Amino acid sequence: MVDWLTNSWLWLTKNWLYIIVPLVIFLATYVVGLWVRRIAYRTFNRWAATGKWEGSQLIIQATRTPFIYWFLILGAFIAIQISTLDSPGKILAGKILASFFVFSLSWVAVSLGTKILKLYIVRAPRLQPSEPLMVNIIRIAVAVIGALVFLDIWGAPTTPIVLIFVAIVLVAALAFRDVLANFFSGVQLAQGEQIKVGDFIKLESGEGGYVTDVTWRNTQIRTLDGNLILVPNSRLVQSTVINYGRPLKKATRPFRFYTRLYLKELTGLKASNLVELVNMLKEVPDSVIYYHAHSFLEEYHYLTPEPANDFALWVSDELGDEVLGEKLASIDTFDFPTIGALRARIEGVIKDYLSKKPDGRTAREGREFHFIKSVSFIMPTPYVAHDLREFIEVLRQVSIDSLTFHIFDARLRLKRGVNDFAIWIEECLDDKDLAEKLAYLDPYNYTLEGLRSTIIQVIEKRIK
Amino acid sequence: MQNEIHLQSRTRLQDYEPIVGRSCLEELRILSEKFSGKVIQIINSTSIGGGVAEILEHMVPLLNQLGVDVRWNVINGSDEFFEVTKKFHNALHGKRERILTRDFDLFSEVTERNLKEMSFYGDILFVHDPQPVGLIAKKKEIGRKWLWRCHIDVSSPDKKVWSFLRRFIVDYDAAVFSAPNFAQQLPIRQFLVTPSIDPLSDKNKELDSGTIDAVLAKYGLISDKPMITQVSRFDRLKDPLGVIEAFEMVKKNIDCQLVLAGGTATDDPESEEVLEEVRKRAEENPDVHVLLVPPESDVDINALQQAATVIIQKSLKEGFGLTISEALWKAKPVVASAVGGIPLQVKNKFTGLLCYTVEGAAYALKQLLSNPEYASQLGQNGKEHVKQNFLITGHLKNYLLMFLALDQMSEVVHF
Repeated sequence: MVDWLTNSWLWLTKNWLYIIVPLVIFLATYVVGLWVRRIAYRTFNRWAATGKWEGSQLIIQATRTPFIYWFLILGAFIAIQISTLDSPGKILAGKILASFFVFSLSWVAVSLGTKILKLYIVRAPRLQPSEPLMVNIIRIAVAVIGALVFLDIWGAPTTPIVLIFVAIVLVAALAFRDVLANFFSGVQLAQGEQIKVGDFIKLESGEGGYVTDVTWRNTQIRTLDGNLILVPNSRLVQSTVINYGRPLKKATRPFRFYTRLYLKELTGLKASNLVELVNMLKEVPDSVIYYHAHSFLEEYHYLTPEPANDFALWVSDELGDEVLGEKLASIDTFDFPTIGALRARIEGVIKDYLSKKPDGRTAREGREFHFIKSVSFIMPTPYVAHDLREFIEVLRQVSIDSLTFHIFDARLRLKRGVNDFAIWIEECLDDKDLAEKLAYLDPYNYTLEGLRSTIIQVIEKRIK
Repeated sequence: MQNEIHLQSRTRLQDYEPIVGRSCLEELRILSEKFSGKVIQIINSTSIGGGVAEILEHMVPLLNQLGVDVRWNVINGSDEFFEVTKKFHNALHGKRERILTRDFDLFSEVTERNLKEMSFYGDILFVHDPQPVGLIAKKKEIGRKWLWRCHIDVSSPDKKVWSFLRRFIVDYDAAVFSAPNFAQQLPIRQFLVTPSIDPLSDKNKELDSGTIDAVLAKYGLISDKPMITQVSRFDRLKDPLGVIEAFEMVKKNIDCQLVLAGGTATDDPESEEVLEEVRKRAEENPDVHVLLVPPESDVDINALQQAATVIIQKSLKEGFGLTISEALWKAKPVVASAVGGIPLQVKNKFTGLLCYTVEGAAYALKQLLSNPEYASQLGQNGKEHVKQNFLITGHLKNYLLMFLALDQMSEVVHF
């Protein structure tokens, strides 16, 4: 032990310069590193201040400490290179230091990449659910690159590894192609800001609703009847989507669409001639008059606008009286605010005709006029509209029965005087002009589908 | 449960969506929610054969799919009982039948037996046609809502039979008829529900041209020659000889062929005789094809209708006449007599042409064969008319409304 200490001391006294010089170089590099870091970060700070890029502080935070480690590694490397260490030793030491450098650089890259990602993802809430996935992608990418460089430093063959890695990536991409397609489509949607939460969109399939969420896989749409549709992002990017943007002025009270289904009930009354017809007309309930004024319209609504009432058809077809038939057919139901007034008009026309031509034909057996009443069942549908855009979209979807209820039944049978749409638009959207247009629209001039289209067109014109 | 019929669903409710639209099915679902916890018990005389059983086979599973607890029971009856009810059926249609006191006694005996044997568990009991009508006697004991569905035209019935049945009918809460002119004056509520066709059944589904050609080849018909078709059983009331006569008038000006396709009814001894007469009459004309189509040949009938240029139904008397709806559903121009329920389906010059005589039928046939565009327009209108008014989905809706109406006397019911 004493000998060993003695020998070491002797060696040091002879070769102190070989120790001191590398040590000085190492310390000098460290000092230069501190100085360079101060200058570099001051310059970077100044540049960052002009650019006002929030990520600059993240770069400073992430690299400030490692920066000095990198100068320590550099100092150690230079010191070893000028030392008396033999060549294989220098190479080995160089590889070790390079490995440390690669490890440190990878660490910084992961830390910085993650922080920058978080900085941006805060601004894109729809991508937040995919944050863990993106962080993992960054970590894996950096780790793979770092590992490849590490292997290269130590002389391991990297080409087969690269090939295996590429193969794995390709297989994974193939296996998760839908997921990836949806993910990148989600990024595309987020970047383009074409579809945002709150927008009203309509898909190629005809379905539409409000966007409630955009995740990395799909876009969620709440339809107007309250259902939730999940559309894969890739489908959304590839198909034609109409984005109507933000909702329009909200109504003070939403419009709930109702539907009216009806059942035919026989009254047991039947007329064989005009005298019987007019006598029974006086007695039958309003529901009978309403039914016979609208049944042709409801049963043949697809066929012809301006349908005749049943009285006119029976008089023409069964009694063969074309003149009276025409007079009855020309009674415009829209002119009458109540069923009572309509009944009085029909009665008046027949009585007037009978006073001039009392002898009429009698219907053949089995072809008498049967007085039928409609029993109406009014039920709410799931459809609700809060503004005119929603109103149009719902109107496209509701049944003809729903349209008939709000336009015909509401005005005459429920004695509201005007159709429900006009009432809501005036009372809840305060749009008197549009309400008036709809109130004065004569629904008897259209087929029911034609009426639906016309109302939609009138409102669409208003929105534009 | 005794005599309960269990059915496998042939079609799913959503299969109808492409035909009737989403809103129609939505409305059915809204309606069906009103029947939560309620049982509808259907009672009729048979689960096999006949129009009533056929429609119930389709309707009951669909109602169940909607979540409505509908169960179907049939009564027990001997052959003698069904012979008597067959006579009742004919008599109600206005046909002269020799009905004896013992026939009424047998009807009452079988009714009594069924009253003892059957279980009456429904909140609503929906009884079809005259055979089980007497079960209403149970109402005094158990109450509940009772509904009688009359599938036949009782406008000119045999008075004796009608008055016998009427004393049962008046105890029901309501009666249901297919057409206003089929009904009788009754002191109870009377609803109007038309029958329907199932667009997805073998009889009405769309067929490919290969299937149609194969059926035409099977019956030796020429596919590229205009074809006038009447589908109905061989019965004098369907006037097959009148159809041949009208065809011969048309044939003088237009080269075409006539197909009379149908079966013979086992319960109608006259039908074989009519078939022979028609065959004999057809021998004179090679363009008249009389086809005796076996029962259960729905696809054949469908193909013959789809291959037709014009469909005729020249009945002298008719029930509702659903063959008209079947023809219209295939967008075929139709010439039909203005009898029974036909005018409800054929609005003259809108959805087809109505006729009253052989000459009128011939005139209408010529009009349609000479004006294919006009014929096509009538056919399209007819299809739309059936879609709006005579499909099974509308029938389901009407039945559900009717069940609801039993608890409501108001003309406007808010839910």
